[in-house]
Amino acid sequence: MDDRRRRFEAQVLPYLDDAYRFARWLAGSSEGADDVVQEAMLRAYRGFDALRGSDAKAWLLTIVRNCHWTALKQQQRRAQVPLPEEHDPQDGQALIAAEPDPESALIRQDESRSLEQLVAALPEDYREILILREVEDMDYRGIAAVVNVPLGTVMSRLARARAALRKNWLQQVKGTPRAVR
Amino acid sequence: MPCAESLQVQAYVDGETDAMASAAIEQHLENCAECRALHRDLLELHTALHRELPYAQTPPALRAQIMRALDKESGAAHLPRRTPGIWRLRSYWMGAVSGLVAASAAAALAFVLIAPPITSPLVDELLGAHVNSLMSSHLIDVVSTDKHTVKPWFAGHTDVSPLVADFDAEGYKLLGGRVDYLEHQRAAVVVYQHGLHVINVFSWADSRRSLPAQATRNGYHFACWKAGDLDYCAVSDTAWDELQGLVRLVQGASALEQR
Repeated sequence: MDDRRRRFEAQVLPYLDDAYRFARWLAGSSEGADDVVQEAMLRAYRGFDALRGSDAKAWLLTIVRNCHWTALKQQQRRAQVPLPEEHDPQDGQALIAAEPDPESALIRQDESRSLEQLVAALPEDYREILILREVEDMDYRGIAAVVNVPLGTVMSRLARARAALRKNWLQQVKGTPRAVR
Repeated sequence: MPCAESLQVQAYVDGETDAMASAAIEQHLENCAECRALHRDLLELHTALHRELPYAQTPPALRAQIMRALDKESGAAHLPRRTPGIWRLRSYWMGAVSGLVAASAAAALAFVLIAPPITSPLVDELLGAHVNSLMSSHLIDVVSTDKHTVKPWFAGHTDVSPLVADFDAEGYKLLGGRVDYLEHQRAAVVVYQHGLHVINVFSWADSRRSLPAQATRNGYHFACWKAGDLDYCAVSDTAWDELQGLVRLVQGASALEQR
């Protein structure tokens, strides 16, 4: 085995499971994820020389995300869904306070949904950041690099996604709205 | 109107705040009921997400397919197919093995030799986890010098409940805890500081996979042992005797705890 391949297997291959998990959340199905991951690993291997000491996991997940979007565009299987309003990254607070009940707006209220279903129901922009943080255990900087948004946007989207889950799931689990202690 | 500090509370929970900011937030939490509730809910949510979201692994067939595609890409397709994984790792580890044999011969410590150190992909995994923790500013999930904070945090975030103690008096300051994915489980990592060095003490449920009692890889030292049904491994770039100083303290404390 040549040296380049060996280095690839040492530096990038350990993150294959992370790539697969992330692709599954992006693609919403395991079949879609298989293609995305395989394409991503190939692209990663071809472009391996560009890695040069940067964070291999963030780098690989960025490629996974790009492959996902490319596949999606090629298939054109979805009509364009308008993205949630973009906001000033510095202004996460104002965003949360802007609507009387923005958390409910993110997830359609339903009687009892599993946490997994609630996460799946989040708009993609919010879900991918939540997954990168909570499942892939990435730090803000890594997430910002993968999703290609400023740090402040990572923080505000994360806060909104969590506020939605907090409202919809924790209340559901507890049965009553939480009183502030 | 939510408290202006709520994003800071979130950053604190995510381990994104340095020691000074963490202290400021801890103080704010004492004074702000709203943020206390947020803090509690974020931890609860984090635990629930870890528990309930699927933690899928690459199906073996897909992995094999990817390896074949890489073979093809690197022009190795015409070569006879070799046994994947194990053999490559073996040659990879040959260098480490000779060092290990010498090290274990010299070991005067009463480590439990978990298995003969022939090959250990686990050490590789531990090395990756250790280096990642130093690089990614994600060293600590729960920042605290108080074992009564760190220990219960593990209960909600990891699959094991390891020994947590502060050995500040002995020169090993408890910094906090972290969860790492290791051996197909959520391993607990207790983070200590010794001088300028960080020592990660990994622990996970005994997996019966071979693990050397001592190893050195890429300049990092690994000291591994068993206590009860847990495997422990302390990893650092400190000198050997400094690392073993902490190992002895942890072993002593867990022996007391199990009594």
